[in-house]
Amino acid sequence: MLTYILRRVLQTLVVIALLSYVVFTLMALMPGDPVEMMIASNPKITAEDIVRLREFYGLDQPAWKRYANWVGTISQGDLGYSRTYRVPVMELMGPRLLNTLILSVCALSFSLLVGITLGVLSALKPGGRLDSFFSVFSFAGISIPSFWLGIMLIIVFSVKLGWFPAGGTQTIGMEGASWYREFFDRGWYLVLPVMSLSIQQIGTFMRYARSAMMEVLRLDFIRTAKAKGLSRGRVLWKHAFRNALIPLITIAALSLSNVFSGAILTETVFSYQGVGKLVYDSIIANDFNVAMVSFIISVSMVLMMNLVADILYGFADPRISYS
Amino acid sequence: MKYLWTCLAMSLALPAFAAPDNSELKIGISQEFENMNPLIMSMMATTYMSRLVGRALVTLDADNRWVPQLAKDIPSLEKGTAKIVEAGGKKKIVAHWEILDKANWGDGTPMTCADFAFAREVALSPTVSVGERETFGLVEKIDWDPKTPKKCTFTYEKARWDFYQLPQFYPLPKHVEGPVFEKYGKQKEGYEKNSNYVKAPTTPGLYNGPYVISEVKLGDHVTFTPNAHFYGEKAKIRKIIVKLISNTGTMEANLRSGTIDMVSSLGLALDQAIAFEKKAKAEALPFTVLYTPSSTYEHIDINLDTPALKDVRVRKALLHGINREDLVKALFEGRQSAAYHFISPKDPWYTTDPGYVTTYRYSKRLAQKLLDEAGWKVGPDGYRVKDGKRLSFVFMTTSGNKTRELVQTYLQEQWKQLGIEVLIKNEPAKVFFGETTRKRKFAGLVMFAWVSAPESNPRSTLSSKSIPSSKNGWAGQNISGWVNPEVDQAIEAIDLEFDAKKRLQYAHELQKHYTADVPVLPMFYRSDISVIPKNLKNYRMTGHQFAETNEAEKWTLE
Repeated sequence: MLTYILRRVLQTLVVIALLSYVVFTLMALMPGDPVEMMIASNPKITAEDIVRLREFYGLDQPAWKRYANWVGTISQGDLGYSRTYRVPVMELMGPRLLNTLILSVCALSFSLLVGITLGVLSALKPGGRLDSFFSVFSFAGISIPSFWLGIMLIIVFSVKLGWFPAGGTQTIGMEGASWYREFFDRGWYLVLPVMSLSIQQIGTFMRYARSAMMEVLRLDFIRTAKAKGLSRGRVLWKHAFRNALIPLITIAALSLSNVFSGAILTETVFSYQGVGKLVYDSIIANDFNVAMVSFIISVSMVLMMNLVADILYGFADPRISYS
Repeated sequence: MKYLWTCLAMSLALPAFAAPDNSELKIGISQEFENMNPLIMSMMATTYMSRLVGRALVTLDADNRWVPQLAKDIPSLEKGTAKIVEAGGKKKIVAHWEILDKANWGDGTPMTCADFAFAREVALSPTVSVGERETFGLVEKIDWDPKTPKKCTFTYEKARWDFYQLPQFYPLPKHVEGPVFEKYGKQKEGYEKNSNYVKAPTTPGLYNGPYVISEVKLGDHVTFTPNAHFYGEKAKIRKIIVKLISNTGTMEANLRSGTIDMVSSLGLALDQAIAFEKKAKAEALPFTVLYTPSSTYEHIDINLDTPALKDVRVRKALLHGINREDLVKALFEGRQSAAYHFISPKDPWYTTDPGYVTTYRYSKRLAQKLLDEAGWKVGPDGYRVKDGKRLSFVFMTTSGNKTRELVQTYLQEQWKQLGIEVLIKNEPAKVFFGETTRKRKFAGLVMFAWVSAPESNPRSTLSSKSIPSSKNGWAGQNISGWVNPEVDQAIEAIDLEFDAKKRLQYAHELQKHYTADVPVLPMFYRSDISVIPKNLKNYRMTGHQFAETNEAEKWTLE
């Protein structure tokens, strides 16, 4: 197992190195670097200013040289400086990354809990009243555009009812309050974004759980377990559900690795101070340091979560070995 | 259950609004902001907020007048506080600026000439990435007598009439930032990375405006509290929070739910504001929507290297063929006004004198006549042709900009009636501004906007030296590629002309050539928009880049 994990980690590092070079080169080819955007927005910039700034930012050098400089800097533990926000990347991204992680993990946990439970219940009596009701709910959840759902939630729960804040991450000035007040305050701000993100995910997880469970429940070993006189709960959760886990592990792992791109719309609609929009803006503005760090984290998340999923398969199904 | 539904229905029907008072005002903006270092900042939202915490020697007020802020008076040749001197065969200006006795930094340290000299030193340092240095480069040196540290003598490298226009010559607190620059100033980007504006942005000594910053969360909000050491009248609102809501579609919901109390001029698009104003009136909401004409000039640049567009008759026909008055009424409900040239009506240089300016009223007949004269005849399919080629142009703008896309469709239809085919091809702003317009990679028409201060020299947009090319590093914004020697001459002369009447004459000459040659199709002047609570008093929008926050100390919620 350890050898398998080490081999996969090494593969991951190689993939990150290769992909980072490709992405850096592609970004260098994109029009509108920071100096070009300055020229477009400031008519007073002179030809001398342009030469000076290009040299200053190293934009006069070929992409491979700039990439080598970037690798050199990052290997010393310095993530660089954001050209757009004029602050160190670490200071800019750290809190936002944490916020996005909290939002995504809350939404994912809630969606998994509700989605799997409803999916399993649906699979027990396919075509029944409960299944039909849940199916309509899941398809509606999957089909509703998240930005529209977000706006609707704001209109109903913030504007009309005034139950939850329309946007933000926490009450301004709340930092430094007692931990439980801050905890509940942040939770209050999380309700609508989590609902918005979850409603779609619940539908997806419900469909996966339903079909996986339906498939397993038809198999012979389930009939055998029932014939042995095992309780319904034991048959369902210990025998059937464990065997239905593999597709769910895959989809859950992929969802978690998608924390950056998945929450962009939700973060924008709810003015949630997450990393999703920052990543998008940094790519648009050619803010290399922010975009590259985001990219590395994003790729690492995908590869790591795939690795985690592969390991979990072994626990879910003992027939899978890593020798 | 029935009771629950009744309660729900009642709460849905009766949203409550609590009028804000002087204890707190929450302002919504839709644009991102960066750190507040006045030398480094370049984003509009940062500039908007910077006026709450920082003031300069002079500024342009809401009436478009240059007024002193940190200075006691504006130096002038007439008053004898400035004079033209000759040194090394060059004419220069020496001006005496006196800083207000009460002008202090937020920690009570008096502001002196040393803070201005320090700002200049940092801005011109090769290790600091200041975008445009012109403002600081114009001042050759700053001298003062240590006994009178608030009386500064500025020596300007050129004798220009607008030498006193230094609204962006911000002082830097030497007592706070000096040690940082001393320690890190020799490293590339060392100062800006370690500046207190980045590391300790709530340090009161960094600011000299009516407010200081008490909390910053990049990407979310900035909190401002009154500066006890401000030189002017004490700020009445005890806390101002500027909150970023990047999705303008949810700005209204945030306003209605009380998350914000008002929307700044960097908030709503015109169509959203018009729609909200109607709802606010119908529902008697406690908000006022304000519109003010701005100096932002929306126009269509023509690529003058395109063979068909080289002919001035075709360009004039394009202008005669569009009904700009109808356009602003139909699309903007008259909230924005039609433009006839590059100078806005708020600018003292503006004229519509027919002796100078040709306004090109809407006339299909005149447009058709001009096209016929240019040899473009109507073909069997209704489009005009000449030498077997159809009169067809690609018309580009920024994709996703709803207003511009509406205008495009409107114009496409009007030009079609003249037999001109217009093909719309839009691009994301990054590509459009970063590549297409900047490198003149368009064959027909491009629509975008310019922002200019009143009485400013249009060198960057009209001089032939400002045509972007690989030779000048693609600098300049004369995107059309317009070359007119008389215009170049006027542009060079206007800066050095101290006689206001003669300057006005030059400005009128520029407008004359601009409207005669039609290198650009003027469309409309944009309006700035704000939504404010009905009880907010003394709030004046400016319509130029020195935003309403310039007078924030006067705002009060009664």
